[in-house]
Amino acid sequence: MRNVSILLLLSAAFLLASLDLHSQAQGPPQASSEQRAAVDRGRAQFQQACGFCHGPDATGARGPDLVRSALLAHDVNGDLIGEVIRNGRPDKGMPALPLNAAQISDISAFLHSRSKEAIESSGVPSDYPFEKLLTGNADKGKAYFEGAGGCSKCHSPTGDLAGIAHKYNSIELQAHMLYPDEKPVLATVTLATGEQLSGTVSHIDDFSIGIRIGDKNGWYRSFPRSKVKVELTDPLAAHRELLPKVSQTQMHDLFTYLYSLK
Amino acid sequence: MKCSFARFLTLALATPLLGLGIFPFRTSAQGLDPAVLLKPPTDTWPTYNGDYSGRRHSTLDQINASNVNSLTLAWAFRIRGSVIKSTPLVVNGVLYFTTPDNVWAVDARYGHQIWHYHRASEGDHIGQRGVAIYKDYVFFETPDAHLVSLNAKDGTVRWDVPLADGKLGYFATMAPLVIRDHVIAGVSGDVTDIPGFLVSIDPESGAVQWRWNTQPKPGEPGSETWPKDSDAIRHGGGMTWMTGTYDPALNLLYWGTGNPNPVLAGEGRPGDNLFTCTIVALNPDTGKLVWYFQPSPHDVHDWDAVQTPVLFDAEFKGQPRKLLAQASRNGFFFVLDRTTGEHLVTEPFIEQTWASGVDKRGRPVAKPEATPSPDGALVSPGSDGATNWMAPSFDPQSGLFFVNARRLFSVYYNTVTTKAEGWGGRDRILWANSTIRALDYRTGKVVWNHEIGDGESIAGILTTAGRLLFTADNSGNLLVLNPANGETLWHLNMGGALQASPMTYQLDGRQYVILPVDNVLYAFALPQK
Repeated sequence: MRNVSILLLLSAAFLLASLDLHSQAQGPPQASSEQRAAVDRGRAQFQQACGFCHGPDATGARGPDLVRSALLAHDVNGDLIGEVIRNGRPDKGMPALPLNAAQISDISAFLHSRSKEAIESSGVPSDYPFEKLLTGNADKGKAYFEGAGGCSKCHSPTGDLAGIAHKYNSIELQAHMLYPDEKPVLATVTLATGEQLSGTVSHIDDFSIGIRIGDKNGWYRSFPRSKVKVELTDPLAAHRELLPKVSQTQMHDLFTYLYSLK
Repeated sequence: MKCSFARFLTLALATPLLGLGIFPFRTSAQGLDPAVLLKPPTDTWPTYNGDYSGRRHSTLDQINASNVNSLTLAWAFRIRGSVIKSTPLVVNGVLYFTTPDNVWAVDARYGHQIWHYHRASEGDHIGQRGVAIYKDYVFFETPDAHLVSLNAKDGTVRWDVPLADGKLGYFATMAPLVIRDHVIAGVSGDVTDIPGFLVSIDPESGAVQWRWNTQPKPGEPGSETWPKDSDAIRHGGGMTWMTGTYDPALNLLYWGTGNPNPVLAGEGRPGDNLFTCTIVALNPDTGKLVWYFQPSPHDVHDWDAVQTPVLFDAEFKGQPRKLLAQASRNGFFFVLDRTTGEHLVTEPFIEQTWASGVDKRGRPVAKPEATPSPDGALVSPGSDGATNWMAPSFDPQSGLFFVNARRLFSVYYNTVTTKAEGWGGRDRILWANSTIRALDYRTGKVVWNHEIGDGESIAGILTTAGRLLFTADNSGNLLVLNPANGETLWHLNMGGALQASPMTYQLDGRQYVILPVDNVLYAFALPQK
C-alpha cells in the first residue's frame, strides 16, 4: 500500500492520539482554591522547616528526595508524614519538629502536589510557553520557507497562514507546522471499461478503495483494487517527505518565522 | 496432554492395576510437566511465546499455502470491555487468556468458557500479556504488581503474593516464564522513578528464590555507568516488561530491560545507565548476570529494549552459531552470539533519524541534537518505538526474521524546570505508518517489505511450517502472507484490530489459529469434513 492517509482506523488513531495529548495537557480536575492555598502555605512551611535538608522543592539536598519516597506514596492526608515530622528520625539525624496539625496538613498537601507534578511530567502542559520554542532565527526561517523547505509552493504567510500563531498553543503550532491535520486524499479510479471516477478517499487498503465522488460530501462508491487502476494525490505528501529531512535548526528557524506571522 | 497421557499409559501397563480391571483414569493427569517445555507438543502452546526460543514459529502445517484460502471460523469467544492483548496458552485442550484483572479458561476445541477469574485491583491497566502454567497451577500478574497462582482446574486462588509496592507506581503486565521449578516474573512501571527487577518465585509456595535488580548496587559492575554522589541510580527504571527466552543447553535466561528514569530528561544521570535498555543473560537458578549487551545506552527516548530476544541456531559467516536476535524499539536490529554476548550485527530495520552510526561495541551512537530539548527535537522513531511489545518471528524454513516496524515521527520536549522526576517531558507524535518486514539475520538487511498502512500497528506475527505468516494490517484486515516474499495469501476484514500476537495448536487432528481482534478471540481452522 502506498503512503496514503485518511484510513478510517488511522483517523481514529490520530484522534485518539490528539485526545490523549489533549488530556495530558489538560490534566486531571483542577485543585480547588482552598487546596491550592494549602499547597502554597505548605511550600512556605516546608522551605522554612525542611528545605535546608530536603531542598526547597523536596527533591533532596543533604537529606533524601521526598518526591518519590515510599512514605509519601503511602501517606494519606499527612497520617504518615505527620508522625515522622513530630517524632523525627533520630537514627538518620532528622530532628523532631514542633509543628501543629494544620502545618503538617499543609506540608503534606505540598508534598503530594510535588509527587503529582512528577507523575504528570509525562505530559507537556497546554500553556507551555511559546518563548521556549522561539530559539530559531526568523529570517533564516523565512528563507527556508521560501527556498529549501518548499513551503511556499502550497502556503502563503498572508493567505492560509495569516495569524496562524493565534490558532494553536505552542506545541500544537509546532506539531501542525510539521504535520497538519489530515486532509482528504484525492483519487482517480479508472474502471476496466475505461470510465474514470474522481473523488476523495474514504477507505483504502490493499483490497478495496472507497471514494466519495466529487468531494467529501459526494456519494460513496467502492471498488476492488484488483479490478481498477487508482491514482492518488496526497496533499500532505510534501510534509511526509520533509519530516526525515528537516534539521532541528531549520525546524526552529521555521517555527520562529511562523510565530512572527501573528 | 498427549505425551503425559502416553507416558502414564506406559506406566499403567507396567503395573498390576490393569490386571485388576481398574481403568487407569488419573484425575491429576491434567498438569503440565515443566520438562515438556523443552520440546512442546503441537497440541499445546504452553508458554507465552509457544516455546523457550521466542521464535513464534509452529511446526504445524495442516493449514498451508495450498489450502489457506478455505480458512474458516471454528469458534469465537467474546469478552466485555477490554481489548485482548494477551497470547493464550493451550494445555490439555484448555485455552487460558487474560486481560488486566481477568483470566479465562476456555475449551480450546469449542470455545466454551470453563471458568473466569476476576480480581479487581488498583494500578495501571495498560495491558496483560498472558499466564504461565506449571503442573496444575496457573500464574498471573496483576495491575497492582502481585503474582497470583490459580488452580488450573477451576480458577480458584492458591496464593497471591506482592512482587512490588503498587503504591510506588509498580504494576505488572507480563506473562511469567516457567523454567523447571522457577516462575520468572517481571514488573512494569512508567511514570515514577522506581528501580526494575526480575524475580524467581517458587511455584509451590510463592516464596522468592532470587531477585536480579536492573540497577547494580554502588560499587558493583555497571554502577560506574551512573553518576556518583547522586540518587540517580536508585531512581533507575529498567522495567522487565516482557517475557524473556531461555536456552536449556546453555542454561541461560535472556531478558530485555526498559528505559531509565527520568524518562526523557537524562541530564541528571550521565553515563550508559546499566542495566537499563539492555539485553541480559542470567543463570535461571541463581539470577546471576552472565553477560549483557545494551541496545540503547543512556536512553532518553523511552526505547525499552524489552522486545523478544529471539533464539535460533544458524550459520553466520560460515560458522554454525547459537544466535540471539532482537528488533529493538530504537529501530535497530541486533544479532548476538548468545553463548558469550559477542556482538555480530547492528543494522536499522526502519528509517531512523537519531543515530549517527554504530560504535565498536555494536551500539548505536546518538546524535546530540536528537536529545529531547525545551524547544523540541524532531526524531524518528517516537517514544512508542519503531516496534514494541508485539511479537516478532523467526522462520527456520526461510531463515528470515520478521518484525512489525513503524515509521514514527515525534517532537520530543524536555520540560524540566527543577530536578527531573518521572518523565521530565514528553513527545508529541506527528505521524506514523507501519510495515511488516523480513530481515536477513546475517546482515539485518530488509529482504521484503509489506506496507500495512498509516497508524501505529501493534499486531504480532506468527509463522508456521505451512509456509504462512499470520498478522494484520491497519485497516481491520487479518492477513496471511507468504514468508518467502511477503505476498498476501489470505485476508479477511474483521472490522477491528489485531492488538495481540497470534498463536496456533492442533487438537484431534484439527489445527486452530487464534487471532484476537479487539475484545473477541477468533479461532480459525480448515472446514471440517
